Amino acid sequence: MSAEVQAADAPVCDAVTLEVIRGALRASQSEMEALIERTAMSAFIREKKDFFVALFDATGDMIVGAYRPSFGDPVRPIFEFYPPDQMKPGDLYWYNDCYGSKGSVSHSPDQVFVAPIFVDGEIIAFAQSWAHFADIGGMRPGSISPDCTDIFQEGIIVPPVRLAEAGVVNDELLRVFFRNSRFPDMLKGDTRACFAAVRLGERRIGELAERFGAEVVVDAFRQLGDRSEQAAVERLRETFQPGSYRFADSVDHDGQGNGPYRLSMELTVDDNGVVLDFSDSDDQAPGPINYLVNPAVPRAMLGMYLLAGDPTLLLNAGAGRAIDEVVLRKGSVLQPKWPAPLGQRGLTMMRLLSSTMGLVNAAGGESTAANCAYVIYFARGVGDDGTPFLMSDGVGVGYGARPYADGINAVYYVAQENYPAEMMEQNYPARLRAYGIHCDSGGPGRWRGGCGVVREIELLAEEATFAIRIDGVQKPAWGVKGGHNGGAGRAVLNPGTPQERELDPFSDGNVLRRGDILRLQTGGGGGWGHPYDREPERVLADVLAQFVSRESALEDYGVVLSTDGESVEAAATAARRQDRPPVDGLFHRGEYKDILE
Amino acid sequence: MNAAVETEAEIRYAIAIDTGGTFTDVTLFDRETGQIWTAKTPSTPSDPSVGFMNGIQAAIEKASLEATELAQVFHGTTVATNLILESKGADVGLITTDGFKHVLEIGRQDIPRRANLFAWIKPTRPVLPERIHEIPERVDIEGNVLVPLDETAVRKAAHDFKTRGVNAVAVCFLNSFVHPAHEKRTAEIIREEHPDALVSISSDVLRVFREYERSIATVLNVYVMPAVSRYVAQLEGRLSQEKIDAPLLIMKSNGGVVGVGEVERVPAYTALSGPAAGVVGAGFVGAAAGYGDVIGIDIGGTSADICLIKNGAYSLTGKGKIGDWPLAFPMLDINTVGTGGGSIATVSETGVLTVGPASAGADPGPACYGRGGEQATITDAHLVLGHLPPYLLAGGMQLDEAASRKAIDQHVGRPLGLSAEDAAQGILAIADNDMVGAIRVISVERGHDPRDFALIPFGGAGPLHGSSLARLLGAQTVVVPPSPGVLSAMGLLVSQLRADYSRTCFQAPPDFDFNLMETAFRELEAEAENWFEREGVPQAARQLTRKASLRYKHQGFELDVDWTGDAVTADTTALTLDAFHTLHERLYTFAQKDTPIEIVTLHVAAVGELLQPKLSALPTGGALADAEINRHPVFFEDGWCDVPVYDRQKLSASIHFEGPGLVVQLDSTTLIEPNSTVRTDQFGNLIIDVS
Repeated sequence: MSAEVQAADAPVCDAVTLEVIRGALRASQSEMEALIERTAMSAFIREKKDFFVALFDATGDMIVGAYRPSFGDPVRPIFEFYPPDQMKPGDLYWYNDCYGSKGSVSHSPDQVFVAPIFVDGEIIAFAQSWAHFADIGGMRPGSISPDCTDIFQEGIIVPPVRLAEAGVVNDELLRVFFRNSRFPDMLKGDTRACFAAVRLGERRIGELAERFGAEVVVDAFRQLGDRSEQAAVERLRETFQPGSYRFADSVDHDGQGNGPYRLSMELTVDDNGVVLDFSDSDDQAPGPINYLVNPAVPRAMLGMYLLAGDPTLLLNAGAGRAIDEVVLRKGSVLQPKWPAPLGQRGLTMMRLLSSTMGLVNAAGGESTAANCAYVIYFARGVGDDGTPFLMSDGVGVGYGARPYADGINAVYYVAQENYPAEMMEQNYPARLRAYGIHCDSGGPGRWRGGCGVVREIELLAEEATFAIRIDGVQKPAWGVKGGHNGGAGRAVLNPGTPQERELDPFSDGNVLRRGDILRLQTGGGGGWGHPYDREPERVLADVLAQFVSRESALEDYGVVLSTDGESVEAAATAARRQDRPPVDGLFHRGEYKDILE
Repeated sequence: MNAAVETEAEIRYAIAIDTGGTFTDVTLFDRETGQIWTAKTPSTPSDPSVGFMNGIQAAIEKASLEATELAQVFHGTTVATNLILESKGADVGLITTDGFKHVLEIGRQDIPRRANLFAWIKPTRPVLPERIHEIPERVDIEGNVLVPLDETAVRKAAHDFKTRGVNAVAVCFLNSFVHPAHEKRTAEIIREEHPDALVSISSDVLRVFREYERSIATVLNVYVMPAVSRYVAQLEGRLSQEKIDAPLLIMKSNGGVVGVGEVERVPAYTALSGPAAGVVGAGFVGAAAGYGDVIGIDIGGTSADICLIKNGAYSLTGKGKIGDWPLAFPMLDINTVGTGGGSIATVSETGVLTVGPASAGADPGPACYGRGGEQATITDAHLVLGHLPPYLLAGGMQLDEAASRKAIDQHVGRPLGLSAEDAAQGILAIADNDMVGAIRVISVERGHDPRDFALIPFGGAGPLHGSSLARLLGAQTVVVPPSPGVLSAMGLLVSQLRADYSRTCFQAPPDFDFNLMETAFRELEAEAENWFEREGVPQAARQLTRKASLRYKHQGFELDVDWTGDAVTADTTALTLDAFHTLHERLYTFAQKDTPIEIVTLHVAAVGELLQPKLSALPTGGALADAEINRHPVFFEDGWCDVPVYDRQKLSASIHFEGPGLVVQLDSTTLIEPNSTVRTDQFGNLIIDVS
């Protein structure tokens, strides 16, 4: 770190300019995001917003990024091949190599584009964009499938390469890339969108340097990192008294019939520093749930929690420095060996994010209950007009309840939008027949877990193969401090007919024919606090809204409703709540317990 | 209803009433002489029609007129806006397609990008989930009926609403933008079963695809409908009490006015009525001063509204928002940032100086108002730096400089180790930066270079920031209108009748159905003509423009371009597609000529031209010295400097002078920085050159 270099001197960038630069960085980032959002072509990017832009300092430390802990350390892997002193203005670098970048990208569909930003012949920063491209080859359309058993089946691997040299784009590289896709048109559009965004970031930082001077801007980068670091360090020490804390949870299975896979974390805080150790996690899986964790990711996960609620603090490399060491065991599900498949690591990532909250709870801190991992499915086939289609659709879930509010109903993730029913019917041979809240999926509690959704899709093509990814079926999102676990998800084919069939919730190769109906039900978030402490009026409102059934109101919440279901029977409720189920464990999954796994 | 458009002789006096949160601004205009009278009266939030009428009375008294002499009444209102922002609308019922009850609750299933996923709370929807009834019916995307409308179920739902006293009902069925018959029939049944209910169907309100956006627009429409209808009836009652039989024309979010009937039909069109009037005013001032490309910035007490006008035309967007809700009507592309005169400056525990969005508002207001406000605001920063003389409203209200200094010292200076002056400059630098960021969104992000635009600052605090914003943006010219504080009322006076008609009509290459598109355009034009009839617009004053929303195949976001040529043919379609490539390149730095373009939604924009006022020219030949009242110390980069203070009223046309200086007037103060030159034009605009 370069912190000590400045220590003796007064800061070059004053407090006011610092705020002006912070505002300008956020604005540049928004502008880059808007550009990708409006021009990209993969549904993953344009509707689900599975992309991410960030700005980095000259050493490769992130200055400003999105509030999403799914990135690693994306600039430095390029230095191995292209040292900064050999870079030129107008260069553009590109890769998707997970193992080569030590998990800076964690599955191959994510393409990283990075451009150095020069002022007076010196690199002062890097602009980066990253997006999930729809199909980059591999064993199945969409590239990632629960069926993959090594990373070569998940599409083309691009090590860090120079895609543009001094402004001249190397079309040969792109031709190879596009040729490897089943949907090259989309790839072209997405590549252009990511390019343009990086170039925009380059221009904006250049303008900033022109206005304030490179020295001031560089000093601002340093201060913004330090500020987040200080705040994160202080809050971490407030949250975690010296000691050692453990938490573990499991992913259901790996898509290949193995599992569950235990993810274990231990946080040790003492005078020597703060160490986050994942080495007690299970060995890597044959299926593609392995998550090649870059140490920056758990740092960002915890940083995001620590900086929550303060918009003046940027989630950047500084926030991550609050943790001195991240320990990962090679060969574990969180640090798999080449060439283990990684495509479905989203499941593991979401589980790990919730586990961070579990760790805070275990350490006596105030935190949320678990989120359900978001759900995804792919449908591939050939439309009646003879063109192949790939529909990749993300489905919302319920998030964990919080000490002050219910969990969020029916959300996928930050800034990722659904396909409107009217869009799906227009773009794909599929029709949405129902789209609603999954009743009783929110974990009961003083604060209820968010509810998942029900989404029913009818196939309008002759035949299509569906891949489905629902986690948290065997191990639904845990509740905390008296709150119950959230409901589980499931996938049913042709519900309510003689042909009704339960599908493996994490599987590929599900063949549907014209007229078949797939009903997906997604899980809810865990509850927080004892359900008997929830105001009966809130329970009533949930019943009226069809978020909670009348039966659950009675059984889980102890609330007795009138015959017409429109009011609370106060006396009967009070009587029922006399007999209050005891809480004998911090967490809840099926029953109260202190240690989940 | 009375015809809005009459001959010049018949409409000598036009009056405009712009109801804001604190004040109601009124402008009365004599088309014969060009004379203008203005009045400012307190708003009356509990019954805004009282303030509306008080304002009219005040203005006609000033002009010594009889109320009956008024020939046109223009109005900008925040009734719908406030109902939505404050969640105070009607108890709404919604009828929707079976299986889709929770479309609103789910929304677009996203957590907003800037939100922290741990802390974000999903906003409560404007309709209770138990007031949403699912009805068996289904239409496919081609408009084929898959499941016929279950009329019995509709009757049952209507009955339930009636029993529960739900008198505002929205109807939104899937794919109704291709097949509105089920919605229309449902509305008929509700009216039969529940005659007291106000009903709004989505294919009437917003006939475009995307069910969440269409549902929320329809729900918000009925959500504000009872109160807006009541309000409009009150206004009409008060006008007729005073024997004013002039047509009442109300500003919509698209920058045009419409008659009362149209507002009653789709009241949600007025969600941005207030700020829209300002945009129109800025465009008018710019055009009069000879600038067709302008950026308007309206700085009030709590926020700044920013808009861009290119070649005299406003920018419209279909991605507008009001509060937490998307409102996909064509609305003026106004970007609002929480920076205004009352915005509070604070230093966080981590030493971060922020300004706004918290505001001291008008009450208690900035520390210098002496009404109990102790926080440091933007206005306090201006006062400490001498940008404001120690009084407002021409001596009507004293400002307490010592209180400002104390507040800034305590809340910003000491925590950051800065002098009061440096702290005040810091507050303004951050406020300016926030506004520059907001200006960039509507300029740079829309493919415009702000350096090519003149800045028109207005609202009470606008002219204090105009020059510094222009400098930061690299713009050369600032145009300060004659009455910056009441520009919105002026905007109302100069507005045109405007309505937009849209319909989603998917067309994918190579199978463009030119006839189908031509038919759709003609149907939209017929709707527009019907509206012209209802408003009484003569043939010669009618203007129709065809537009289309296009996107590259696989994209999910459309851009609007004017349809090139008259009829839809292979040739005009090709030209329109070309225009899309060009626009895409301008906005996003690249075009994709190898990618097919899809046509998604067709639009017809209808304008009924109203007679435009002719401003009277200011006399020339006055001397600058006559306007100088006194001198006042102002703090600039290099320290304190004694600058002349000019009375705006006494500045005649064609006067040239150099900064620094202050120009004071009843409704605003203009700060002229050193090294800038100023001239006054024939309409009394101050044209500041900051280069």
